[in-house]
Amino acid sequence: MEDQEILRKFHDPASRNVAFNQLVRKYQSKVYWHVRKMVVDHEDADDLVQDTFVKVWNHLENFRQDASLYTWIYRIATNECLSFLQSKRRKFFLPLNDVGAELAQKLEADEELAGDEVELKLQKAILRLPDKQRLVFNLRYYDEMPYEQMADVTGTSVGALKASYHHAAKKVEQYVNEHFS
Amino acid sequence: MNTPFRLDEHRRRPHPPLTPPPDRYFEQLPTRLMQRVQPASAPAWGWLSALSAPLRTALASVVVLGGFAASFFLSPAPAATSSLAQVPQEELVQYLLATDQRLTLADLAELPAAVAVSNTAYLEATPAEVQRELDALPIDEAYL
Repeated sequence: MEDQEILRKFHDPASRNVAFNQLVRKYQSKVYWHVRKMVVDHEDADDLVQDTFVKVWNHLENFRQDASLYTWIYRIATNECLSFLQSKRRKFFLPLNDVGAELAQKLEADEELAGDEVELKLQKAILRLPDKQRLVFNLRYYDEMPYEQMADVTGTSVGALKASYHHAAKKVEQYVNEHFS
Repeated sequence: MNTPFRLDEHRRRPHPPLTPPPDRYFEQLPTRLMQRVQPASAPAWGWLSALSAPLRTALASVVVLGGFAASFFLSPAPAATSSLAQVPQEELVQYLLATDQRLTLADLAELPAAVAVSNTAYLEATPAEVQRELDALPIDEAYL
């Protein structure tokens, strides 16, 4: 179902639930993996995905369509992730890079990565990036999102995003090369 | 590692190879979300939400005042006179005789007279002098 059709149905109280159900089914996988890449842990990702879609439900009526629905949902999910990571640091009095260390421990425990040393190093390298740079890296490298769309999601200029991705990619390559035995 | 690692040459995946979510996670997520966003049904008190705020306040006041009134009228009031009437005469007499402060007939017959305050002590004059002064005063007929 097209976004316009979903929005039209959502504005009709009689078909609101159906429209929301369709919206969730359409975007849940993308939102889930976008969040999961940021927080690594499934339980945390599940909470954040639900919070994201609850916010979508609460504010979709006021959605002005000056951005695409997909971009708007991504922006909500991104803000949820960044707030979550920030509150985690505040809660445990952690310095900026220690959440990355905690997430790296979760990576090592992940069965899917066991035995794939290059992939594990790559993921650890990504987790060492600052949150916002990691977000830019994920959107570009994994989601292959165009820079213009990334600018809508992050509220950052295209030029700044290109520079951020370039620096992030260099840092990742450098880390993997230095730590690969 | 023989050749330096380069991102462009690394096999790109749609997402990191993390453990996938539990089975049927994406099938159940829409249902769980619908349960979260639907308002909790309260059929017994649902009609209250339809009332305006002032009306709800007035209704609450009526209920509270009604409760007070009901408790006042329904509770058995302990009447002092009726409960005293239920005490047998003999017990009353025994109680009065047993108390330390007893009334005598003299107490009942005579009321203590008010102590007359005499101001004669303040008059430095003999009765004859007083009488003479009184006789000298003009007497208004209206007083007679």
